[in-house]
Amino acid sequence: MTTPITKDEIMAVFPTVAETMADALGCDLEDIKLDVSLIEGLDAESIDFLDMVFRLERAFKIKIPRGKIVENARGALTEPEFEANGIVSDAGMAQLRSYLSEIPADRFKTPMKVKDIPRLFTPETFCKLVITAQREAAAAA
Amino acid sequence: MSTQAGSGIAGKTAIVTGGSRGIGRAIVERLAADGADVTFFYRENAAAANEVVAAALAAGWKVAAEQLDIRDSAACAAAVERIADRCGRIDILINNAGITRDNPLAAFDDADVAEVLATNVTGVFNICRAVVPYMTSQRAGAIVNLSSVAGDKGGRGQTNYSASKGAINAFTRALAVELAPRKVRVNGVAPGVIETEMSAGVREQAGDAVLARILLRRYGQPAEIADAVWFLVSSHASYVTGQVLSIDGGFKME
Repeated sequence: MTTPITKDEIMAVFPTVAETMADALGCDLEDIKLDVSLIEGLDAESIDFLDMVFRLERAFKIKIPRGKIVENARGALTEPEFEANGIVSDAGMAQLRSYLSEIPADRFKTPMKVKDIPRLFTPETFCKLVITAQREAAAAA
Repeated sequence: MSTQAGSGIAGKTAIVTGGSRGIGRAIVERLAADGADVTFFYRENAAAANEVVAAALAAGWKVAAEQLDIRDSAACAAAVERIADRCGRIDILINNAGITRDNPLAAFDDADVAEVLATNVTGVFNICRAVVPYMTSQRAGAIVNLSSVAGDKGGRGQTNYSASKGAINAFTRALAVELAPRKVRVNGVAPGVIETEMSAGVREQAGDAVLARILLRRYGQPAEIADAVWFLVSSHASYVTGQVLSIDGGFKME
């Protein structure tokens, strides 16, 4: 079973994640709060997500394959268990709430389209992405 | 008193695909002579590549060569990452590598079509996918794709090549739209008949007919294409994006 990510681990990577995001989004560092919605709060677009992932790869010297963030969010569920016809299943929603535990419950609207999942993402989501990639790299080494 | 602003190329990191011969070599030399740190890729001809590097080093320029098959996306990503790690950034990309496999359409075999499209189109996608994240992250960069007069005006026995270059024209415009918000400019240069090994067959077989279609009544030189590429990546073209510039001596449609 995967070891849960601790708050200490998140806070250890957050300063670099925040700096990277501020650069990518062209906003002030102070605007990057751990729980701000990247799309609704900071006006991030899909191309910004690619940019942020690229910058995080360089900053932390890790590899984050495309689609990794949704794959992480999906956890142990298979794709058909997680979603059907682009809509997240009940099991998928439970998994998503668990993975994105930092996000307030009222932001999980149902039915949720898979393509809308990034609307939930916050800087903390990216901190978790970095920590997971670091753990995977350490395990592979 | 008038002043001549600099090109802004000195100190930039540039990548040129297919840089060991012909137009590619001229581009490598043009950018390096203006102070760029140029790495070019070549597919097979190591001797020609070594000659370009040796001549450049003798001239005091910064030029390096790497063997790369641009049809291999993973190899492209790795090669570009090596350059970025070494140079810190990537400012200029020239997609020059291209091949021809001329034949009347009915005489093509599968490889004639697949190889031309894989190198001339997929290869450009592969390199751009590797380079663009660096440029968007820098909020700066200039890409020039080498097209051809054949991409617009067609030529007998060149349906595969014409299709590949038409695709590059469309690709250039679409990528310009996509990258403009990130301050990355994307343009193309469409050479006419240039005196290179690649065009030797056409010039030998149909020289008079081809010359009759060129308003300036002569073939172009690789350096004349390199000049156009130099302009498009320089600060002189800071307001130019999404364009395909024809450098063809006034080539007329049949």
